[in-house]
Amino acid sequence: MTPLIWGIIGIVGFIVVITFIYYNRFAVLSNRIDNSLSQIDVQLKRRADLIPNLIETVKGFAKHEKAAIKEVTDARKALVSAQGTEAKVKADQGLEKALKSIFAIAEGYPDLKANTNFLELQRELASTEDKVAYARQFYNDSILSYENKRKTFPGNMFASMFGFGVKDYIKIAEAEKKVVKVEF
Amino acid sequence: MEPIRVDFRDQIASNKRMSFFLIAGIFAVIVIFGYVISMAFEPGYFFLIMIVSIVFSISYIVLSYYNSDKIAIASVGAKKARRDNYREYYRLVEGLTIASGMPMPRLYVMHSPAINAFASGRDPNHAVVCVTDGALEKLEKRELEGVLAHELGHIASYDMRYMTIVAVMVGMIAIIAQIFLRSLWFRSGNNSKGNAIFIVIGIVMAILAPIVVHLVQMSISRKREFVADANAVKFTRYPDGLIGAFKKIQHDNTPVDKKVSKAVSHLFFTNPFKGIGSTHPPLEKRIAILERM
Repeated sequence: MTPLIWGIIGIVGFIVVITFIYYNRFAVLSNRIDNSLSQIDVQLKRRADLIPNLIETVKGFAKHEKAAIKEVTDARKALVSAQGTEAKVKADQGLEKALKSIFAIAEGYPDLKANTNFLELQRELASTEDKVAYARQFYNDSILSYENKRKTFPGNMFASMFGFGVKDYIKIAEAEKKVVKVEF
Repeated sequence: MEPIRVDFRDQIASNKRMSFFLIAGIFAVIVIFGYVISMAFEPGYFFLIMIVSIVFSISYIVLSYYNSDKIAIASVGAKKARRDNYREYYRLVEGLTIASGMPMPRLYVMHSPAINAFASGRDPNHAVVCVTDGALEKLEKRELEGVLAHELGHIASYDMRYMTIVAVMVGMIAIIAQIFLRSLWFRSGNNSKGNAIFIVIGIVMAILAPIVVHLVQMSISRKREFVADANAVKFTRYPDGLIGAFKKIQHDNTPVDKKVSKAVSHLFFTNPFKGIGSTHPPLEKRIAILERM
């Protein structure tokens, strides 16, 4: 076989391999966006699940603080019933506000403050709040990676070929970084 | 004057580029050295040396690479961290794995009053992270998080794999140099003028190349440390945490840990042997770059 035929085989082989690579890359990046979106939901659900235990503990020591307790209970209801991730994230912000009130009030109940269950729940809630923030961050990063690949050469050629269009993503803003000194 | 801002993504990219060029440089040294030897002796000899050096270097290093996670843990006597005893440690790493999209590494604790940590493992699915008691006690939540993010950064960049490849190549050059020098004794005197020049070049290279590539290896290690710092910022978006940890380490007067052997010291967050700054960049420089992010 002549060198010309080898050359053509080489070029065709190269194109096939490159197509494989780019298609898979786009599939991975696209999946990552979907996956990270569900991760946000997972963390929000965990937050909601921690609340009943917290309410019970607080009632055990400070059941007269009806307003604050109701605020948290209502906020949790709003979070659980929210439809779609964007709404859930907004509801979570309401929950965070309600929790701030409860934790501020707890300062006035030394027994509650010292209760190990309460402390652990406080830490878990702080941790899940971080995780929600990280999940949102990763979601936005995933979109950025996908868009970069889609808009730069040679990805842009392959993207239109394979039908990887603009991802219909919801804009979830980054959470503001909270710097809270939490004792161990 | 306002310092020029640096984007952590650019930091990652430029340091990775630099380390790639350096590793290419080491590869070039192997090729040139091989060429010089084959000109000094015969090409057949060159292939023999290459094969011997590859076999020895690779088998030694690849064995340790494949079990790098177990070896690193065993060599410092680290204990597996139980979730019940180290809840915050687990929570911090879990948050970071969400931010980075990585799987959860196995977590260990090492008994040492110094503030330090390391990560090892051939890929993110076989990774370990270890911190010292000192780090858990002395660092604030965000500072510890910064250190852990740096370690996850190493795992995410496949630094274990990268540095292993570098070590294999550096090892090869050392072996090639040794074989070449020793074989000079056994050459019969049939050197033509042309050969002699290459023999001289070969000798010079045999002496200098191992030293030079060792320095290059240290330089690559430092670049990868900068990448890990930048990755820590990418995951946490909070350089102050890591800066705080560095500053605490600077002022920490805990004496050097005798338990840590030289062989694993390069894996650590900061070099436990203060004064030998080769594998890690100086803390001041790392802080300066982080402050620009």
